[in-house]
Order: sequence, then C-alpha cells, then structure tokens
Amino acid sequence: MAGYLARRFLQMLLVALVAAICSYGMLYLVPGGPIDQLLAEQQNTGQNRITEDDIRRVRERFELDIYLPFRFTRWLIGWPAGPLPGGIGADWQVGCSIPGQVRLRYPDGRVEVVEEGCEVPVTLADLEGRKVSRGIVFGDFGMSQVMLRGRPVTDLIMTRLPYTLYLMGASILLSILIAIPIGVYSAVRQYSRFDYVMTTVAFIGASLPSFVFGIFAILLFSVLAKNAGLPYLPPGDAVGVRDYTIPWIGTVQAGSFLDRFLRFLMPCGVLTFINIAGWSRFVRGSMLEVLSLDYVRTARAKGVAERVVILKHALRNSLIPFVTLLAGILVSLFSGALITETVFNWPGIGRLFIDALSRNDYNVVMALLIINIVLLLIGILIVDILYTVVDPRIRLT
Amino acid sequence: MATSTTAVPLEEAVTRRSEGQWAIVFRRFRRHRLAMFCIGILALLLLLSAATPLIAPYERDQPNLTGRFLTPLGVDADGGFHLLGTDHLGRDYATRLLYASRVSLGTAFIATLISSTIGILLGMLAGYFGGWVDTIISRTLEIVATLPTLLLLLILASILVQNINAVPLPSWGASLLAFIFAVSEREARIIFAVILVLAFFGWTGTARLMRGMVLSVRENVYIESARALGASNMRILFRHVFPNALPPMIVDFTLGVNGTLVAESALSFLGFGIQDPTPTWGNMLSYAQSYMFQHPWMPLIPAMPILIASIAINYIGDGLRDALDPRQRG
Repeated sequence: MAGYLARRFLQMLLVALVAAICSYGMLYLVPGGPIDQLLAEQQNTGQNRITEDDIRRVRERFELDIYLPFRFTRWLIGWPAGPLPGGIGADWQVGCSIPGQVRLRYPDGRVEVVEEGCEVPVTLADLEGRKVSRGIVFGDFGMSQVMLRGRPVTDLIMTRLPYTLYLMGASILLSILIAIPIGVYSAVRQYSRFDYVMTTVAFIGASLPSFVFGIFAILLFSVLAKNAGLPYLPPGDAVGVRDYTIPWIGTVQAGSFLDRFLRFLMPCGVLTFINIAGWSRFVRGSMLEVLSLDYVRTARAKGVAERVVILKHALRNSLIPFVTLLAGILVSLFSGALITETVFNWPGIGRLFIDALSRNDYNVVMALLIINIVLLLIGILIVDILYTVVDPRIRLT
Repeated sequence: MATSTTAVPLEEAVTRRSEGQWAIVFRRFRRHRLAMFCIGILALLLLLSAATPLIAPYERDQPNLTGRFLTPLGVDADGGFHLLGTDHLGRDYATRLLYASRVSLGTAFIATLISSTIGILLGMLAGYFGGWVDTIISRTLEIVATLPTLLLLLILASILVQNINAVPLPSWGASLLAFIFAVSEREARIIFAVILVLAFFGWTGTARLMRGMVLSVRENVYIESARALGASNMRILFRHVFPNALPPMIVDFTLGVNGTLVAESALSFLGFGIQDPTPTWGNMLSYAQSYMFQHPWMPLIPAMPILIASIAINYIGDGLRDALDPRQRG
C-alpha cells in the first residue's frame, strides 16, 4: 500500500508537471498569446513612436528578456530571483535585454535584419530586485492583468469561491439525496412504468446540453411566469441590485435572504436535474447487479424482510462504485459548472474562467486550469484509496 | 400423402443465399421504431442543410433595421414574409437557421470523423502491436483523460479563433470547407480551427474502446490462421481485425457526433467557437438569450434543432447498439 501510494504520488507529480509545462506553453508561447497582444495593444495605443527603451521596459515587464527555461522556473517556483547564495554566478547570463541585430544583404539586393547574438545581456545579478512571484507551486499565481489589474489572482478566486461552493455543494447534496432513491426504486421495480419514465428522462437529460436546459428554465420560470402574472423566479445573478415585487410573495428586498434564495433556486435546480439524470442510472445499474447476486437470494431465502434486503444488504454494496464519481465531484465543488453559471450569470469560479478567458486575463485562466488539474489528480488518488476502504477485497499493490 | 410434403425444392434450398451480416443488422435496426423515426428526422435535417443555398428565402447576413424582432410568420415593412421571424438585426431567422444547421451538423460530422479516425488508428496500433507502442499510446491516453477537457477546449478555441492565420490550412482546403459549409473562406478558417480543437479532444474514448476491441479480436483463431498463411501485419489489421472490431466503433461514432455537436454549440454559445455572422445553433441561442425577455419565442427557434438533433442521434446510436451487438442490451 505504502509503496503503491508513493509510486502513484510520483506519477501524479509527473503528470502535474507535464500539464503545467503544456499549459505554460499553450498560453505563453503560442503566437498571439498575451504578450503579443499586450505588445500590439501597447503599440496601437502609444501616441509616440516606440523607443528602444520602451521595448526594453515591455520586454522586462513580461520577462521576455529572460531565456525560456528560466522564465518557466521563475513562474513555477519563483527561482532564480537573484545570484546564488554567496554571490555565486552574479554575472551568469540568463537572458538578453537587447538582442544584437545583423543586417543580411542578399545578392539580389534585399536587406533583412536578423536577430543574432546579444548586445545587452541579463545576468543573475540583474534579476535581483525584480518582481517575481513565489511560484505557482507555492500557491502564488501572480497578478490579474485585466479583470482586477494588479491584484493577486488568488484574491479574485477567493471572492468567487463561496458562490461556487454553496451552489455546487447544495446541488450535489440534493442530487445524491434524490438520485439514490430513484435509482434503487427503478432497479427494484425494473421495467415498471416508473422505470420506463425515469429511463426516458435520464436519456434526455444525459443527451442534452445544459445551456439548453438553463434557457428553457429561464423561459418557463422567469419569462412566461412573469408574463402570465404568476410568481416567477429572478433569472440571473446571485444577489439582486434593486427591490422587486413577485405576485403572491410581495416585495423582495435586494440582498435579503429571500432574494438570494430565489436566485439560487434555478441554477441549483438545473444542475441537480442533470446530475440526477446521470447518477440515478448509475445507481440503478449497480443495484441491479447486486440484486442478482447469491447473497441477496440467500438473505431472501432466510426470510429477511424485503425492505431490509434492499436497504441493508443490497444498497450498501451497490453504492461502492458510486465512490468513483467522487473525483469529479471534488473538482466540480471547486471549479463549478462553467456553462450553467454562465447562463444564470452566477458569479462563481466557472463564470470567472469564462470572463477571464474572454478578456485574455491569462494568469487567472492558468491558475484555474492548474488548480483544476491538481484537484482532479488528488481526487483520483483519494478515490483509489477510498475504494480499498469500502471494498476490502481490493488491495493496491 | 406422406410423399407430397416437400416444401422447398432441394435445388432452391441450396442456392438461396444466406442473409449477410449487414442485412441482419439492418433488419434488427428496423425493429427499433423510434430509431427509424429518428433516422428520418436526421435525414430531413441533413437534406435541409444540404439544400440550404437553394431553399434559403433571404440573404444570410442581410440586415433589415425596420424589421427587427419580427415574430414567426411575421411580415416586414417591404412585405417580405418571414417564416420564423427575424433576429435583433432584422436578419431572416429561417435563413440563418438553415445555414446554422449546415455549419453545426457539418462541423460535428467532420470533427468526429477526424477524431474517430485518429482514435481507431491509434487504438489499433496499441492493441495489435502491444509493447512500447501500447505503453506510449496508453500513457498518453491516461494523461489526456485526466485533463479538464472543457477548460482546455475553451482555451484552445479562444487562442486559435483569435489567430486564425496560425491555423495550418492550405487555401484549397479553405475553399473546400467554404464550399461544404456555404460560407466565405475566412469563416471557413474559423470553422476549421473549431473542428481541430473538437477533434483533438474527441479521440481518447475511441482509442481506448478500439484498443480493447482489438485486444479481444486478435486472440481469435482466424487471426492465427491468417498469420499462419503468411498474411502481413497490415493485411491482418485491415482485412481481419478492423472489420471485426468495427461494430462498437459505429455506435461510438454516432454518440461521438452528438457529443461534438453539443460541445460545438456550447463553445459557440459561450462565445469561443464559431462567431457571428457565421450562424450556428449555439451562437444564435446565445444572442437569443439576451433578448428573450422581450421576445420569448427567440431562444426556442435555435434551441429546438439542438434538442431534436441531439435526441435523434442518441436514439439512433441506441438502436444501432441493439442491432449490432444484441448482447450489450441493457
């Protein structure tokens, strides 16, 4: 077990590192990435001609003057931030502030300027005093560049996290509470009318995109209900800005508990419905499998009450495969539901990701991506361990 | 009396051809009424999108600022009839919906075709050759499977769509796609970027499934006999392994088309996929959402085809599963 865990942990670190390298490459090296865009922006908005000094400053600001491996390690672990202890390597070159230019004259008269060599090198000593993050490994994801300019990304995440936590927490809890009984009942009464209805509902629920659900919910419960003069649900946001009146209920004060609750109902309902559609099938399948096992027949033969057979003998064992879903649940608790949060304008993490991406705030995007990957890896590990706990027959070696 | 009961003349009984595998599959599939109905619906949708440039009543992007937000069956100031009304710029909704079907369905089919091909080839290599080939492919699969697909899909789409010039597409490819989707070449490049992104994330499931199928198929005696007769690896792979591993792949492809269709609509809905003025069901829905309070009918029109296509494709997949592999019924 210990050996297995150690091996898995190393594997996890490796995958996380690969993922970090890939995402770094994807976001910071692709042409048209944030640096190119900011450079272009700078060039478009600058009234004066850009001087060499400007270029140097911009290159320094985005660390373009540091060679790629060092740029990556500074981003990853905040190193190197200056000369080694004891002042060793103060004059080691780690980058180039102004690249040398060579004019190439072709025989046909064309002249091309090619960057070659380095005119002004950047040494380890130059890095001292420059702003550097502590490194993403230590939880420093740098500053937000667009959304909250100059504030740490972690601040931004922390303001959004509570909304995601309570939306996802509530809907996951509700889904489990509803999906398990539905799944059990469908399995016990297999091929009954209830089972057929649930099968169809689950089929539709699983094949449809969540934004279509969300929009239908808004259409039904907000737009049509409001037009018909019935009590309606506010369609978006987590907290209202203005008081509003709902028939039968009366005036709802913006920011009151009732306001928050009404706004929470629809996104929570949509998420819960989608979860139930999938999970109830899952429970049904594993319950059917367990119900056909010998020990269940033995229990029945011994005259144990059907209720006890189902709830005690069958259900507990049929929930074991359910544990595998926990990894996804753990991640979704943090990262929220991207699409549903967007449809309902819910200020959670999923929405933050969409906003950050559409405004090219890449540090935020990176932070969320990496936290997501790490959480998923941790989740998978936890599931593996939990599996040995709930099913002692399984040994990890 | 006993002598007159011969039902089938001997000659006929011998020469009657036995039913082929695909005939059996088709016969079983036909029994699945709902799936047959869904095939009809999908065929209709495909037919409509194929005939789009011929039957579209208006220009796709022609705005009409005096005739905005017309309700279905509405008539604008110039007396133009709009079957499904007009959008926020007064563009004919029916026309845009037809073009959108072409783009959405086409994107889904092509992207799934690419990802299935990649998945099947890699799965075949991994399953058939085993060893280090299998190790590399399976490890890559595991890593890709642990990545948060939707986030990466959005990031890649956002980056690619912002710099479509970085997308490697020769100009003949652009013209071909422009012809397929009935759009301009610039729009075709964006669509191609989205197809690439969708295909890039779609192949893992197919590869895993194919690998498993090949692992079981290659243990069959006929593979051994083929090898004993001196068949080359390529011949065994494509003549013997591939056809026998194919049935679950067909189901996987069908369900994959639905997955891709939904993913593309989600991307476009969130604003990172195919962009207005190129219509897709997803981005039409996204615009409709902003106006749904004044015009509740608006979101229904692009949402309906998504619903219908998605459910239809899923039921077809279900029917195919029953027809191709009756043991897997569940």
